Amino acid sequence: MTLINLSGIHSETYRELENDELPATGESVLVSLGQLQENSTSIFELTSSVGVIVNTETPYADLEEFVGRVAFVDIRFPVFGDGRGFSLAVRLRKDFGFKGEIRASGHVLPDQALFLLRAGFDSVDAPDERHEAFEAALKRFGAFYQTDMIGHGKSVAHLRHSADKDKSATQKAG
Amino acid sequence: MYAYDTFDRNIIDARVAEFRDQVERRMKGELTEEEFRPLRLMNGLYLQLHAYMLRVAVPYGTMSSKQMHRLADIATKYDKGYGHFTTRQNIQYNWPKLVETPDILTELADVEMHAHQTSGNCIRNTTTDQFAGATRDEVEDPRPYAELIRQWSTFHPEFSFLPRKFKIAITGAGQDRAAVKWHDIGLILRKNTEGEIGFEVIVGGGMGRTPVIGKTIREFLPEADLLSYLEAILRVYNEQGRRDNKYKARIKILVDALGAEEYGRLTEAEWHKIKDQHIDVPEEEVARIKAFFTPPPLPVLSDDVEEVDTFARENFIFKSWLENNTNPHKVLGHVNVTISLKPHDGIPGDATDAQMHFVADLAEKYSQSEIRVSHEQNLILPHVAKKDLPEIWKALDANGLGSANVGLLTDMIVCPGMDYCALANARSIPIGQAIADRFDDIRRLQDIGPLKLKISGCINSCGHHHAGHIGILGVDRRGEENYQISLGGSGAEDATKAALLGPGFDEHGIVDAVEKVVAVYLGEREEGEEFLATYRRLGPTPFKEAVYDAD
Repeated sequence: MTLINLSGIHSETYRELENDELPATGESVLVSLGQLQENSTSIFELTSSVGVIVNTETPYADLEEFVGRVAFVDIRFPVFGDGRGFSLAVRLRKDFGFKGEIRASGHVLPDQALFLLRAGFDSVDAPDERHEAFEAALKRFGAFYQTDMIGHGKSVAHLRHSADKDKSATQKAG
Repeated sequence: MYAYDTFDRNIIDARVAEFRDQVERRMKGELTEEEFRPLRLMNGLYLQLHAYMLRVAVPYGTMSSKQMHRLADIATKYDKGYGHFTTRQNIQYNWPKLVETPDILTELADVEMHAHQTSGNCIRNTTTDQFAGATRDEVEDPRPYAELIRQWSTFHPEFSFLPRKFKIAITGAGQDRAAVKWHDIGLILRKNTEGEIGFEVIVGGGMGRTPVIGKTIREFLPEADLLSYLEAILRVYNEQGRRDNKYKARIKILVDALGAEEYGRLTEAEWHKIKDQHIDVPEEEVARIKAFFTPPPLPVLSDDVEEVDTFARENFIFKSWLENNTNPHKVLGHVNVTISLKPHDGIPGDATDAQMHFVADLAEKYSQSEIRVSHEQNLILPHVAKKDLPEIWKALDANGLGSANVGLLTDMIVCPGMDYCALANARSIPIGQAIADRFDDIRRLQDIGPLKLKISGCINSCGHHHAGHIGILGVDRRGEENYQISLGGSGAEDATKAALLGPGFDEHGIVDAVEKVVAVYLGEREEGEEFLATYRRLGPTPFKEAVYDAD
């Protein structure tokens, strides 16, 4: 498994901590939200950088106290159809203004690449043999009907009535 | 009608290319059926009992003659020469080959049609009043808003993997012909005291095994805020809707669990956070879309047309047809004509390729090349001059489409049932046909008057039996098909849930039961009282006695 870069932002590989393990000094680690909630003080003191793993069921409010302090959030999909992960990413961006990396892991499909990117994800942790399909899926569409996390607030509806209309309209999809 | 611009064109072409690639990967074995399934479903492709089924969207039930001709051509070329118009104002093809489906989508895209999100756990085709923009009792044409919703909901980055499917319906008329209160979200166009346009917003309606009538969470939402408000409703549902049990996953279950008031509060709180985030489109965009729906320039004529009256006096079927199958148009001297797809011995909602071409030709000649599909599975020619009616009816009649039964007992909604559907527990179509046989005479039907009969072949209730004045549900009882009868449902503005009358019947018994119910009504009705009103006045007891006492 290696990372697929969706947005241009992605972090180095972090070591995932075991359940009750504490990080070594200066290490970059990936920890579950539960661990972070229990040991936040020592984890943030010891490490140089922290990524937090959350599952799709996590209420977004639980992340608020950490958004300013973690480098990235890893949202684990138990199954590709669990759309809560998409709302969670949107919340992180819109409600908390999270600027760090958002990563999708677990069960996601290559054909979801653009949905993920547009909901605010930066990267996907997926099997190597899937990378090509992810890359292909990312190039499929050139414009979208909704405002999203990557469109600088411009949906097709906005582009139709803006100055850069001609350029975007002629941009051929995939 | 809405016409695509370069943006729309690029998006639909990219989607077809994507699906072609997905089908190729499936054929080569690079995708398992399990992985392919969600992808094909988002393009309306189901695996049914005998074959694949492709459900093509007719956005808000409006199409052109050109599009109808193309639907007919597809039926000829890729199917067995017919299609089935559905309660979601869509059309289904029952026999496409998987390898040919990308070609079908290409041919559809060529006429600005698609199968986007006609299936899957996403926002489905927005349905509306079949007479939208043409009927006399309308506040505002709902179709521009339905088109706005179509675009906003297409490949939505956040709401394409919902707990369950999601259906939105919108009406702009006083009389609700779109069953909006039976939808996940129902929208009713209103004008406030300042004359501004807005929506009453209803959430949590739905049929299936837990029938619920939607509840109003906002009396008046300004039109400019529609999409951000929908986004707020959907976000609450996407986050909190149940995902552990697909039968409890629709929004109605969440609204019931939280209470409509709380759901409304959560929606409002979310909406206040997001309403200035450019989710709603600029004013110019609303104006751009509305311009596509400018009413056709029709001359104001007289509603009294001598030759129509004369022909009606000569021909009883035409007289009934005039009464049942036409709806007053906004412009005097015009009507909207409903073409019944419930001919005797036919399959409700089915149309052959020849009939589709014929209707498309009629529309070119008489209805501004415009055709509508109703959720009651009929076709509509809007904007028809009254003086043309005798000629139109004669042409329809000569092509097996002259049935005068719109709104009457044999104008049934019938789901495909076990003849086609993988989910069904019982056949629906033969039951509908047996009932139509029993009530064959137009004079008798005319005497019985408006009566909505709806049949579902399983608890998923695609046949809308919960909203039937008479609803029939087919179930499997120890390996035998068994049919339960319910009474008193309504899909109109006075929406009610039909109540189960008693134990079920076999396929012959159910026809007798319907006849006994109708006999009670005929015996008990007061002057001018329709079936539903009589049932509401009397309650179930006399019907129950008539249906079960003889045993």
